[in-house]
Amino acid sequence: MAIERFEDMNAVALDVFREIGSIGVGNAATALSEVLGVKVKMKLPKVSIQGYDDAIASMGHPEDMVAAILVEMGGDIQGIMLYMLKLDFINAILARLVGKYIEDFSQIDELSASALEETGNIIISSYISAITKLAGLEVPLSVPSISVNMLGGILSVPMAMFGEISDKLMMIQGEFLIGDTQLEGDLLLLPDIKSLNFLLKKLGVANV
Amino acid sequence: MEKQLVVGIGDMKLGRQEGTIITYALGSCIGIALYDPMIKLGALVHIMLPERVNSDANIFKYADTGVRETLRKLYAYGAVKHRMTAKIAGGAKMFDMKGKSSAMGNIGERNAQMVKRVLMQEGIRIVKEDTGANYARTMSIDLASGMVLVKTFGRPELRM
Repeated sequence: MAIERFEDMNAVALDVFREIGSIGVGNAATALSEVLGVKVKMKLPKVSIQGYDDAIASMGHPEDMVAAILVEMGGDIQGIMLYMLKLDFINAILARLVGKYIEDFSQIDELSASALEETGNIIISSYISAITKLAGLEVPLSVPSISVNMLGGILSVPMAMFGEISDKLMMIQGEFLIGDTQLEGDLLLLPDIKSLNFLLKKLGVANV
Repeated sequence: MEKQLVVGIGDMKLGRQEGTIITYALGSCIGIALYDPMIKLGALVHIMLPERVNSDANIFKYADTGVRETLRKLYAYGAVKHRMTAKIAGGAKMFDMKGKSSAMGNIGERNAQMVKRVLMQEGIRIVKEDTGANYARTMSIDLASGMVLVKTFGRPELRM
């Protein structure tokens, strides 16, 4: 039976996506570790299906500032990937790549923004390439784009994208740990419903 | 502390006389503050998409049905069309997608166009507007005065 709404997914399907997230984040953590020259670990990904306001609340206050890198997926998985960073994680990247420390988001200059954008691009590309290899998919990615702004405004982008078919947002959420400190950086995979069905079929779990 | 109502995404609240109604971090979404100064009745609706295309039960998610339903409620509470004003904020383009066609398009701009069209069709004047650009806005309306505040990151607060 095909999934028509995000909330139709059962435990088996959710497990599949948790596993997909785990493979993606694992690969992305390795890539991030190479870029930064430090050990990067991952936390077990979470899969959540929540209403709009709850989805935002699960990540913070809507007005919280984040730097977000967005890549649009095409081909076999339609949707977007978002890599969202809070200040401590941004500093961990900037310290190693451009030798800078910032005290607040207004200090992110062009050089810092492009360093973050490129880091996001590497992470997202390696995440997606792990999944495409696993399932034999073609998923062309767009050029990355960065936005430094309020969490609520950033998440309105995927919400509007899927808004006509769903009142909920499905997020496959991965977190990184840099060195021994836990820094807040979230990697969100937001596929549309058609792609969810396609993925489940491709992985042989269509009849769940 | 004075009474404050919070409007979620695809949601609407109305109130009278005192207190504020607020909605946070409008990105490509639009906040529409409607106010009748004579009876100090106001509403704030947070829409996400221009048009309702299916039979989605959440009518406040869409500009066309959201604005019309809010007006219907305001009239039921005694608002009069010719006294009413609208102030709108939001409709940003949060990400600048380089390269060719993006499936996302400029939803913020389409939202703004539809909100304006529906308000015009309904005969409601837009007296203030802060839409477009590439940043999120928090919007609130003070029910005693009809004053709308727009907060953004790194810019002065806008009173309108």
